[in-house]
Amino acid sequence: MKVLMICTEKLPVPPVLGGAIQTYIEGILPFLKKEHDITVLGVSDPSLPDEETLDGIHYVRVPGKVFEIYRESVVRYIEAHPFDLIHIFNRPRLVLPVRQAAPLAKITLSMHNDMFHPEKMDPQEAENVIQEVSNIVTVSDYVGNVISDLYPQAAAKVRTIYSGVDTNRFLPGHHPKMQKIRQEIRRANGLENKTVILFAGRLSRNKGVDQLVRALPELAKKFKDLALVIIGSRWFSQNDVNDYIAYVRALAKRLPVPVVTTGFVAPDEIQNWFAAADLFVCTSQWQEPLARVHYEAMAAGLPIVTTARGGNSEVIVPRENGLVVENPEDPNEFVAQIAQIISDRSLMKKMGEKGRELAVSRYEWNRVASELLDVWTHAQQAEHEQTHQEYAVEPLQQHTAVELEEADLNQEESKTEQKNKRKEKGRKRKGTLQADRPAKQEQNSTGEHVSASEPKRKKTLEEKQPNSPAAANHKSLVLSSSSYELPVFPRRKGKGSNDKPFRAFIIGK
Amino acid sequence: MEKSGIGPWVVSELDHEFYVPDYIEQIAQEVLQSYDLSVQSRQVVTTKPDKGGAIWKLETKSGPKSLKLLHRRPTRSLFSLGAQEYLVNVKKARVPAIIQTKDGQNYVEAGGKLWFVAEWIEPLAPVSKDLEGAKQLCYALGEFHHLSKGYVPPQQAEVASRLHKWPKSYKKMIEKMEWFRTIATAYQEMPASPHLLNTVDEFKEQAKRGFDRLNQSHYFELAAKGNEYWGLVHQDYGWSNGQMGAEGMWIIDLDGVAFDLPIRDLRKLISGTMADLYRWDAQWVREMIRSYHEANPISAELYEILMIDLSMPNEFYKNIKEVVYEPELFLNEETTQLIQTIVDTDQSKWPVLEEIQHDWEKGGYE
Repeated sequence: MKVLMICTEKLPVPPVLGGAIQTYIEGILPFLKKEHDITVLGVSDPSLPDEETLDGIHYVRVPGKVFEIYRESVVRYIEAHPFDLIHIFNRPRLVLPVRQAAPLAKITLSMHNDMFHPEKMDPQEAENVIQEVSNIVTVSDYVGNVISDLYPQAAAKVRTIYSGVDTNRFLPGHHPKMQKIRQEIRRANGLENKTVILFAGRLSRNKGVDQLVRALPELAKKFKDLALVIIGSRWFSQNDVNDYIAYVRALAKRLPVPVVTTGFVAPDEIQNWFAAADLFVCTSQWQEPLARVHYEAMAAGLPIVTTARGGNSEVIVPRENGLVVENPEDPNEFVAQIAQIISDRSLMKKMGEKGRELAVSRYEWNRVASELLDVWTHAQQAEHEQTHQEYAVEPLQQHTAVELEEADLNQEESKTEQKNKRKEKGRKRKGTLQADRPAKQEQNSTGEHVSASEPKRKKTLEEKQPNSPAAANHKSLVLSSSSYELPVFPRRKGKGSNDKPFRAFIIGK
Repeated sequence: MEKSGIGPWVVSELDHEFYVPDYIEQIAQEVLQSYDLSVQSRQVVTTKPDKGGAIWKLETKSGPKSLKLLHRRPTRSLFSLGAQEYLVNVKKARVPAIIQTKDGQNYVEAGGKLWFVAEWIEPLAPVSKDLEGAKQLCYALGEFHHLSKGYVPPQQAEVASRLHKWPKSYKKMIEKMEWFRTIATAYQEMPASPHLLNTVDEFKEQAKRGFDRLNQSHYFELAAKGNEYWGLVHQDYGWSNGQMGAEGMWIIDLDGVAFDLPIRDLRKLISGTMADLYRWDAQWVREMIRSYHEANPISAELYEILMIDLSMPNEFYKNIKEVVYEPELFLNEETTQLIQTIVDTDQSKWPVLEEIQHDWEKGGYE
C-alpha cells in the first residue's frame, strides 16, 4: 500500500529535537517500510531538507509549528498526492480536513494524549472523526478508555498498542557496552559511590519533579550517599525559565544531597544517563498517557517508582519491576516507596532485572510495528463506510483556542515576563497612583505603545503566552489573512461517487 | 537578520534608555517602505527589550503615527490586530486606526514578527488620579468591552481566550501558595521568610474559598455563552492605556486583548486602585462598578463573579510570586514590609466586600 504517516506540527521526524511521537515513528519505520511504500509528512526544520528519500522512506516536510498553518500545508500536500492509507498521529483535528482532501483513503489514527476532551475538540467534530477513521490506536488503555467513555461508538475501533524502546541502545549500566560510560559519567559528576535517583522529563507542574525534590530531605536522613540526576532541557535556560522551573531550581539549591542537572541531552545520548543511574522515578501529577521513559528505564534495568496517574502504572507489575505512588501530590509517598526499594538491595536488583526482561520480551519496536501493521491490514480490508452524512460542523472554523497536548508548556509564566516585573520591583511595591504613569512618555500625546506603562497593575493571572519553542521560526510562515472558503462540508457521497464534491474549500491564497 | 528573527536584546549600562539594536532599526526602515508614508522622522518612544518589542513615533506629512513591533507570536498578534481593526472599522471605537500598507494589508511581517503602523492620537492626557478619574476609566472600559462583542478573529489567527480558564487560574494560585510556603521553609534564615510563613496559609485559604465559590457560581453557564458573546478584555488597562482625547476617552495598546469575562479588567482596575490607596474604600468600589455598569451592564450573575474575583488574594499573589526566581534576594527586609502592607490593606477589604456583596440582589443600580 501507499501509506502516508502524518506527524504533528511541533517537532520534526527523525527526532532531531526529541519528542515521544517522533521517537515512536522512528522506532517503527524500519519494520513498516518492509511491508509498505511509506511517506512521512511532518513539520519542516532548518536542519532537515524539505523533501528526501532515506533508507527507502520518503520524507516530506512542510511549514507547521502552529496547527492552523500545518493543517493547511498537510491538506495541500494530500490534494496533490494520493495514498491508500493515511495514518495520523495525535491530531484528530486533522482527520476531517484530510478526509476532504482524500475522500477514498483509509484513515487510521494514533492517540498519544487525551485530545478528544470536549474542551479540546468540539463533540460533533469528534463524532465525525470517529466515524471517518477505520481504527484508533492508543499508547495505553488509559488513553483508549477516555475516548470510549466519551464516545462509546469509538470502543470498537480503539486498540492499545504499547510503545517500545530500542533495547540495544538502552542497556543496564553493568552491560559490557555501558560499564565504561557509567563509570565515566559517575566520575565526571561526583556520583561515585552514590545511589543515583534519576528523573527524566519536561520540567513542568504536570511532570511534577518538584515532588521528588521535596522528598529528598527526608530520604537523605534515612540514606547516606544519595544523589539526584535531573534530565530536563530548560534547567539552565536564561531566557526561558518559567515560574515552575525557577521554583524547582530554588528548592534544589537547598538540597542536602548532590543534584546533577544535565540541561539538554541529545536524544541519542540519553541512554548513557540511564545507564549511570540506580533508580528511576517518574513523578507525573497529571493523567499521563503513559510516559515513554518507563520503557527506557526498564530497558536500562532500573527499578521504577511511578505514579498512579493515567497509563503509567499499566507497565508496572508492583514489586516486580517497580512501585506505584498512589497519591503523587504527597512527597511523603515518594519517600516511602523510594525508601522501600533503596533499603532492600536485593529487591532493587531483582526489579531491575525484571524490568530489563519485560523490555526485551514485550516492549521492542518490532512488536509495536507488527501490531500497527495488523491494524492497517484490518483497515484496508474493512469496507469503506458509507456515511451519507451531512456534516453540520465547521471543522475548519476555529472558535476555540487550539489546545496542544503539551498544554502545560503554556501554563507557566515566562521568565521574561517575570524579569520585566522584577525590574520594576521598586516602583511596583511602593506603588502610588503616580507610579502608574508611563515612564518617559510625553504627557499629552501617546500613540500605540508597548505597555512599558502600567507597572502596578501588571498581569496577575492573565494570559500566559504559550512560550512556544517554535516562536523563533515563524518568519518562514505565510501569514495570509485569507480565510478558508466554504467551511460547511458537502454531502458525502458513497464509495465510487465520481462527482468530485470534495474540492469544497480552497486552502490559503 | 531575517534568518535568526527578532528576539529579546540586552541593554547595557552604556546604552541609552530606549536602545534598539541596529538590525531592528534596519528592519524598521525596510518595513516603512511598505507604506505610502512620507516619514520625516522616526523616534523610539518605548521598548520591551526582554521580549523583543518596540514603538517608534513617526512624524509624517500626514501627521504623527506610531510604528509598532509586536513581540508576540505572529499568529497571536493577528488576533489583536484583527480586534483593533474590528473596533475601529466596525464599531467606530476610540481606538487608534491601523494604517494600511501600499497593498492594503494591516501589517508587515519582518524578522519573524508583525509590525504595524497606527494613528498617533493627539492630544491625549491621563485622567485625574482620583475617584472622578477612576470612574471615567471604568466607564471607558465598559464602552470598550461593549463594543468588542461580536469580534470574530481572522481565520489564521490563534484564538486567544481566557473565558474557560478561570478555574485553572484559581487552582494555580492555590497551588503556588504552596510553592511560596515551601520556598520560605527552604530559605528560613531569610528575613521575610517567617512573615511569609505566617501569612501564606491565610491567603491560601482565601484562594481556596474563592475557588469553591467559583465552582458553585454561575461561572460555567456564563462561560458557555462563548467568546463572541462576551467580547474582549484588554488585560493591561489603567491610567496610561485609557486616556482622555479631544472627543472622549481613547483606549490604546491593544496587543494583549483576549476573550474573557469582561469584569476581569474591572476587577484588576479596582484591586490595583485599592492597593494604591493602601485601603479598600466602599465608595470608590461602588462608584467604579456603577460607572462601568452604565456603559456595559453587569448582570446579577456576573456581579457574583466580580465579587468572587475581588475576594481572591490577588495583590498578595501578584507581589509574592516572584519569590521563586531569586529567593535569596527577594526574601529581604523590603519584602517583609511589603507583606505587612498587603496584610494591612487586605484587612480593610473584607468589610467592603461584605458591604457591597448584596448590591445587585436589590436590583443593583438598574
